[in-house]
Amino acid sequence: MAVDTSAAETTHRVELETAFLDGRHRARRRLFLLRAGLNLCGVALFLLAWESVPWLFPSINPVLFPTPSLVFATFWPMLTSGEIPVNIAVSVRRAATGFLLATVLGIAAGVFTARSRLTEYLTEPLLHGFRSVPVIALVPLSVLWFGIGEGAKVALVATGAFFPIWIATFIGVRDVNLVYLRSAACLGAGPLATMFLVVLPAALPLILAGLRQSMAISLIVLVAAELSGATSGVAYMMSMGHQLFRVDIMFIGLLLLGTLGFAFDRLFVWLTRRLFPWYVN
Amino acid sequence: MASLIEVEGVSQIFETREGKANWALWQVSLEIEAGEFVCLIGPSGCGKTTLLHLIAGFMKPSEGSVRFAGAPVGEPSPDRGVVFQEYALFGWMTARQNVEFGLRMRGMGRAERREKAREALARVGLERALERYPHELSGGMRQRVAVARALVNEPRVLLMDEPFAAVDAITRTTLQDDLVRLWQQTGVSVVFVTHNVDEAAFLAQRVVVMRPHPGSIKRSMNIDLPYPRQRSSAEFAQLYAHLGEALGE
Ligand SMILES: Nc1ncnc2c1ncn2[C@@H]1O[C@H](COP(=O)(O)OP(=O)(O)O)[C@@H](O)[C@H]1O
Ligand SMILES: [Mg+2]
Repeated sequence: MAVDTSAAETTHRVELETAFLDGRHRARRRLFLLRAGLNLCGVALFLLAWESVPWLFPSINPVLFPTPSLVFATFWPMLTSGEIPVNIAVSVRRAATGFLLATVLGIAAGVFTARSRLTEYLTEPLLHGFRSVPVIALVPLSVLWFGIGEGAKVALVATGAFFPIWIATFIGVRDVNLVYLRSAACLGAGPLATMFLVVLPAALPLILAGLRQSMAISLIVLVAAELSGATSGVAYMMSMGHQLFRVDIMFIGLLLLGTLGFAFDRLFVWLTRRLFPWYVN
Repeated sequence: MASLIEVEGVSQIFETREGKANWALWQVSLEIEAGEFVCLIGPSGCGKTTLLHLIAGFMKPSEGSVRFAGAPVGEPSPDRGVVFQEYALFGWMTARQNVEFGLRMRGMGRAERREKAREALARVGLERALERYPHELSGGMRQRVAVARALVNEPRVLLMDEPFAAVDAITRTTLQDDLVRLWQQTGVSVVFVTHNVDEAAFLAQRVVVMRPHPGSIKRSMNIDLPYPRQRSSAEFAQLYAHLGEALGE
């Protein structure tokens, strides 16, 4: 084949490839913009519908069902005065501390109980008994025993978040594929290396699912704990709104909780992708 | 001198799902020499995997003894590399990290084991897949990594349980070619389980034919054909027919 033809052919090929890749890139960009635009439109439509409630149903009392503009009028000064940021910070710290505590204890308990028949059978009935109790039922007891201090709230969150992590770790560690254990043994791995380099990574998908579930539970328990006695926090702000008959403040609380839950879930997914690139659901 | 692997009067009993006793192996004796390439062949359920696992040390025989290099087989060890039928690579480690695992367990330094892993992967033709995760590799590539992971520890025997059963026919023949080459280069013994007559005829110096109910050795046949074997040759066709007959008897 002549040199000219192959050079021409190469040029042609590069042109086609560039055009193709450019096209794909543009299409992806368009799709991204479309999605973001529609997301915003969805939110805007929702706010619009909400805002128009008093026009459509004049009988509804705006104090009991304030419009977004009223809510925002309350929200902005509370935000700039620092009241909302402080309450968010307090709530996030409680939830995060409890959740992290539960993560450490839950994974440790899961590994420990799954390692031998003795610990498995010994803890089996307790584990299943305790985890069947909704943690919210413990709130009044906790207030009675520990009062309404920070420690009591963190402990409640940790208790609620602990069980899903324990169960998930326990199942993940107990049911780890035998072929992984055998591979590790053939390659000369001792018990510690097998646990940290093989068993825990193999159990990771289950552990992550447990952690994600626990994150949602942390928020629920946090709200219950703050509602039943606190002097700060997002849910405390809501209970204040309740006592002052300020539905707009209660709405702000709901919106904040929704946003927090959503943001932490996204953060979790993002972190998972970054930390465990090999983990593809 | 004693053989590398000595299986003597080994029986293995299991409980069936109906709660009955099932002899996966019944009084099996087998000797395998250092550097020998042996294929275990037989219909499924005849105890091939069980025999391999006994040699690996995954379990103890119900009766009889398994010896390796003169000593009774204890715990699994890097001396006896295993390549499993299903994918046993650690999904959370790259190809290189998988191959480095055994070296790491021996306490070898980072730079040295990196170099060794690179060499081992190059030997199976995967120098370009070093940093890929198993889920990014094809079935054939994964089994190549598995072979590299076992061989990098310089085992005295490679125990392989239908390692190429799940890959397509074309990939399979190249994997077989490469295995023969690696075996000749390293001088390792290979015990290779298959239920494929062609595969046994292509690979083995000796074919051990097994039968089920209870699992036992039917006969052992030496193959004198030189390597690399030509599938198109008349001798190969004859051998294939001969093995097929022995299996079907
Ligand atoms: N862990 C086990 N528990 C119960 N039965 C088993 C177990 N492993 C193997 N068997 C039985 O032992 C027999 C031989 O199995 P196996 O060694 O896997 O045969 P092969 O590899 O030749 O197909 C089969 O009947 C199988 O059902
Ligand atoms: Mg088998």
